[in-house]
Amino acid sequence: MKELQDLARRLLLEGRVDIVIGYQQGPRGVRPSFVTRPEQADALIFDERCVHNLVTYLSPRRAHLAAWPRRAVVVKGCDTRAVAVLLRESHIDREDIVLIGLRCGGVHRSAEASGPLTAESVAFRCADCSIREPELVDHLLGDPRPAPPGNSRLAERIGQLESMSHEQRREFWNNEFSRCIRCHACRQVCPMCYCERCIADKTRPRWIESSAHLRGNTAWNMIRAMHLAGRCVGCGECGRACPVGIPLGLLNRKLAMVVDEHFDYRATDDPEVPGPLGSFRSDDAEEFIV
Amino acid sequence: MQTRSIKTKELSALLDQLRAAGVEIIAPARAPGVGRAVVYRRVSGFSDIIMGVQPRGTLKEHFLPASERILGWRRGGAHLELLEASTDCAPRIVLGAFPCDAAALEVVDAVMGWDYRDEFWFNRRQATIVVSIACDGGDESCFCHAVGLSPGSTRGADLMFVPVDGGFQVEVTTGRGQAWLEEHQEYFSEAGDSTQAVAFQERATTRSSQRPRPHMESIGRWLKNNFQHDYWDQLALRCHGCGACTMVCPTCHCFDLVDEPEGPEGGSRRRNWDTCQAATFTLHASGHNPRPGQGARYRQRILHKFSIYPARFHELLCTGCGRCSRVCSSGMDMLELLGEIHDMASITEPTTSPEARNEP
Repeated sequence: MKELQDLARRLLLEGRVDIVIGYQQGPRGVRPSFVTRPEQADALIFDERCVHNLVTYLSPRRAHLAAWPRRAVVVKGCDTRAVAVLLRESHIDREDIVLIGLRCGGVHRSAEASGPLTAESVAFRCADCSIREPELVDHLLGDPRPAPPGNSRLAERIGQLESMSHEQRREFWNNEFSRCIRCHACRQVCPMCYCERCIADKTRPRWIESSAHLRGNTAWNMIRAMHLAGRCVGCGECGRACPVGIPLGLLNRKLAMVVDEHFDYRATDDPEVPGPLGSFRSDDAEEFIV
Repeated sequence: MQTRSIKTKELSALLDQLRAAGVEIIAPARAPGVGRAVVYRRVSGFSDIIMGVQPRGTLKEHFLPASERILGWRRGGAHLELLEASTDCAPRIVLGAFPCDAAALEVVDAVMGWDYRDEFWFNRRQATIVVSIACDGGDESCFCHAVGLSPGSTRGADLMFVPVDGGFQVEVTTGRGQAWLEEHQEYFSEAGDSTQAVAFQERATTRSSQRPRPHMESIGRWLKNNFQHDYWDQLALRCHGCGACTMVCPTCHCFDLVDEPEGPEGGSRRRNWDTCQAATFTLHASGHNPRPGQGARYRQRILHKFSIYPARFHELLCTGCGRCSRVCSSGMDMLELLGEIHDMASITEPTTSPEARNEP
């Protein structure tokens, strides 16, 4: 904790950054922290409740953060995959940001959790954790951590989805999407949803109906999922933000599996690996093209 | 008004009878689907109901749905036929409304009947008997005491249930509630010993009143004088502008109107929930946005609740339910920010000391 606070203080004192975005204790669990003065650095913490993907605050869509152009961000290994997408898609410049990497042994799915990580409490995103020690960072802090406990619920739910017929699967998602109230919280928290004008907001023509009926809800959730195929880093922030509890992380996870199967692409922290949509390969299987 | 009691078994039988008579029953119950959160929904009987848990969703969706058809049209050659949407509402009962949710209905009545009487809203209000359940005092995000309510507040409810062993003590609070009770009196018994119910309410009040109680009037004055303040941009730094707080708020009621074609021959005009937290809420056709950043948008939410609505309707647009704090994925906290504004107000208003907000 102290090395994190000391580093943040130093970065601000030396004028290297205008703001350090990390984690602090809030009234209800851990929450994002915005440290702009060296003396505020003592508030910074890092533990198993730091589930938030702070890379979303690097998105150029966040006009209210523009006053602090040089930002340092605290990242876990999995979060650096979101940085890699922003770099790959030319939405941020690496030299504009300072990445403070924390060694991580998994996080709870709730920022308000307490106690040790368990197979029940661990976040979906930790299920196949491959980057406990972030590489794409300027500073690496913390002690090496053991692997997070396996996530039993995710495998179970993916298994359930795969055992369903197409009709059953449609019924499952219709049931979930019917609760959608079209607040678009999933989009707002997503580090990959950086469009200044989202297709859901366009009115000439209106591509997606804004009404919370099944027609509009299906269109919205499917189009968002497709826009994230091959880009989603599986942080699960969409599902955590959803006020009606739609398992959006499950949808994206399944889609990532399909992308892996067809295009041999998995979310990575290497910005040089081309994304499946941004590359052409003559050996693409193309079996979905009739 | 009188006090009666009802046993769980009798309540269950009463609900069965109501359903048989075609009355819709809305109560806290688990939502279908993966999340299984408790929400207010239509239930088929007592066994579905989870009494005494504050639902994640609000009661408002049963009075102001997230999306609702309010007009239709059909085209026949050069002729355009307008189709009125029915504003009728079949008889309903809400059972187990939280006091903060029941009170919110009355708060929102003011704007729904202001310059135009909203038939959809008021027909549903008139068709619905609201039975609330006394709250056990809530959690650390609750602040009903600060906004003039309490865990046992009966505002907006026709009857209130207080949990006791084997059933509920029933307090009748309106004439409608009285008439409804008399209509179904065979299910109710005499009030009997009130010791348990009184103890429940006392415990709840103690829990609730121990929380900070920012001074709403001085906050209102500070808001009026500090439209331009660095606080807003600082406050909104962590805010994603997702609007989940407004969606789960029992008093947020802003909506958008859209016309949706449904094939070449017709379509529907719909009223959909909208949120002041979205940039598109105030985006002009010219491209100009009078609320360009999240600071301005968050300020709007706070001003509307604690300054604008009180100025127009003489009451706060907030019942202290705490859902906005609970739902926020980035940890924005209403009670915390009201405390901060209270403290800033206390600098210019010596009568409002920073300590005062912690006094019960």
